[in-house]
Amino acid sequence: MDHLTSPKVQIGVHCLNLRHKGMYVLATPYPEESQFYDAYDSTAYWCVETQQAFGPDGQPARPDCCQGDRDCCKH
Amino acid sequence: MFRQRGGGPAQPPPKPLDPRYKWPEKPTLLGTSVKRLDGPDKVTGRARYTYDINRPGMIYGRIVRSPVPHAKITSIDLSAVQKAPGVKAVLAWKEAGAELFYQGDPVAAVAADTEERARDAARLVRVRYETLPHVATEAQAMAADAPQWSTAQANTRAGTRQETGDLETGFKQAAHIVEQTYSTHVIGHVCLETHGTVCEWEGDKLTAWVSTQGCHQAAQGFAQALGIPQTDVRVITQYMGGGFGSKFAPDAQGIICAKLAKLANAPVKLMLDRREEHLDTGNRPSAFAHIKAGVSADGMLTAFDATSWGTGGAGQGANFPLPYLYQFPNRRRAHTDVYINAGTQRAMRAPGHPQGCFLTEILMDELADRVKMDPVEFRIKNAPKLAPNAMWIEYFQRGAKQFGWDKRHPTGDPTPGPIKTGMGVSAHLWGGGGRGSQSHVDIMSDGSVVVKCGTQDIGTGTRTIVAMVAAESLGLPISAIKPEIGDTQYPFSGGSGGSTTAASVSPAIRVTTMKALDALYAKVAPVLGTDAQNLVAEGGRIHVKGDTSKGLAWKDACKHLGTEPISVDGAWTDGLSSSGTSGVQFSEVTVDIETGIVKVKRILAMQDCGLIVDKLTAESQVYGGVIAALNFALFEDRLLDRVTGQMVNPNMEFYLLAGMSDIPKIEIVLNNMPERGVVGIGEPPTVSTASAIANAVRNATGVTIRSLPLHPHKVLAALEQERAGGT
Repeated sequence: MDHLTSPKVQIGVHCLNLRHKGMYVLATPYPEESQFYDAYDSTAYWCVETQQAFGPDGQPARPDCCQGDRDCCKH
Repeated sequence: MFRQRGGGPAQPPPKPLDPRYKWPEKPTLLGTSVKRLDGPDKVTGRARYTYDINRPGMIYGRIVRSPVPHAKITSIDLSAVQKAPGVKAVLAWKEAGAELFYQGDPVAAVAADTEERARDAARLVRVRYETLPHVATEAQAMAADAPQWSTAQANTRAGTRQETGDLETGFKQAAHIVEQTYSTHVIGHVCLETHGTVCEWEGDKLTAWVSTQGCHQAAQGFAQALGIPQTDVRVITQYMGGGFGSKFAPDAQGIICAKLAKLANAPVKLMLDRREEHLDTGNRPSAFAHIKAGVSADGMLTAFDATSWGTGGAGQGANFPLPYLYQFPNRRRAHTDVYINAGTQRAMRAPGHPQGCFLTEILMDELADRVKMDPVEFRIKNAPKLAPNAMWIEYFQRGAKQFGWDKRHPTGDPTPGPIKTGMGVSAHLWGGGGRGSQSHVDIMSDGSVVVKCGTQDIGTGTRTIVAMVAAESLGLPISAIKPEIGDTQYPFSGGSGGSTTAASVSPAIRVTTMKALDALYAKVAPVLGTDAQNLVAEGGRIHVKGDTSKGLAWKDACKHLGTEPISVDGAWTDGLSSSGTSGVQFSEVTVDIETGIVKVKRILAMQDCGLIVDKLTAESQVYGGVIAALNFALFEDRLLDRVTGQMVNPNMEFYLLAGMSDIPKIEIVLNNMPERGVVGIGEPPTVSTASAIANAVRNATGVTIRSLPLHPHKVLAALEQERAGGT
């Protein structure tokens, strides 16, 4: 069900230190899954540098936060 | 090999599979019940979990954590602890000025020569906090005048907003409408082996024994957090005591352990205690939804309009699939993530699915009652027929027959007396495909075989299926195979999550062992005076196809390797695994309407997982999933005090779990689908149990309880509410 859980981490957009489980398991989703079920984002994120759900600046590690000009972001 | 099922579309054709690697049509081992190879080691205590690792000169780490749910650190004074007896290292994990977001947020750490001295020393770390207002529940966080969980972020964030079809038309088509609020609660992973690490440095190289679901993945986490090359990190996980989605990274305690070991110049063991495990190692988020749903007079779902929310704790989301499985042609859903001052969520066995399943399946029974249809019949009518691996209708029909569903009474047990009996049903789905694993096989001239793969056995039996697949491929008994896993010195494999391990690892082992066998055939063929393609390995011999007399015993064949062993690498390939599982579960319960106590009498689990590798460990996955979900339904509950924000049950006494007498009879029907290749089974069986139990409670009592857990006080309150005018 992994590709139904979006948004995910995109290189060039999100911080390279952002992590979620889907980056570490080797799933092969059924390619037409999204035709049958609605997408949802149940993902838990963490920062690889702090190994917590918060970045080095203490703010949450999430795709909507870990991008742009956030000081601790690595691109 | 991938054929159309359940009337659905055919799966896309895989890349052409080398016919040599195809799963055997008549396997001798695959699909049979093989006991875990490491079972004797586990029951005798020979198996060494991370907790059991003791290194020469090892010392013990301890973390100082925030005692309050929301605060800023004003100062950290480590001077007293540095002088404490036995202390070898101390570090500040956070600095003055840092904001802390939950009780248990790590602040500092110490290492000392004994566990007791480490605990004593931790009490000498002087941290001054400026406490900040907190929110401990979803309702508190969503109130108009709520304090903020963070000084920088709001308490809510709009998530998914989806709309399909035409809601207005859908509700016009409805003969009946149900509009209610449903919810599930926060629970922990409750790994029997707590999170933790033993770290040992040799110069700049780190060896870490980690209780992890991903050896290679933990190694990357150590390397990147510590700023060292990943090639200088070795992670070992021979045995681990449960992760359920919460153990993919070293975590803060892993990095703290490595840093303490470097500072102390000694190996450090840092295993969390049960309190820390509850506070800071993840949880399953809560889920709420106010749903308005319509059904036509002939029992077809017409419309679904939901506003949903939930909390993943401090700054993490809490979304889930809704509606679950069943397809409402006209639907709208708006979701909001709610942040509170509590430990953050992590993936937990089928993330989002148990929540979405409960919210939808209770509603399904309510809708079925409105149109006066049997719940199984109603589900068959509305189950998706074109979805991937759409096996639900068959499982509803077969399961109902096997379970004795025809003996189910209508909603509300009419039997006199306080003990009411009821039956419930629920369905689920999961993905579970695999890819990417690599492995290495050595065949020695003495006939011994070692299979290496950098996967890990998280308690599921991976070590056993590695040996089974190799033995099947080489025509040998399982005892002839030495499986070596749980170490980053072995070829790369993925983390064990998403029900992907069996589907990732089994094909890799199959390909690599068949390549190794080809190499052996090339050596043996001239001896037997035939071509390599004429040879077959079975029954511990290599012989000419169709002529068992013309061959060699395995050991005799391997003698021809001389001084050069066969040493082969291989990797997962398409065509030996696939994605998509279906399941249906039936439950029978009794409810004592005087005490509110629910007892589950029996569960029937209908489940598929493609080609069954080891029937015994596959069934074990179902047993474990059902029992975990029974805990979700009846016992577990992460309780935060609304005033103090403190968890009131971070232990194994007041955090309830089922005991032996709470476990029902569990019947399992595994549908073997060898033509689909291997599909994972770790997650799907835990999805629908709670819903089936809750629907059985509804059938027993005639009262709909739309919120988990089904604790006695909640059952009694619902019964009282029913007497007062209805739920």
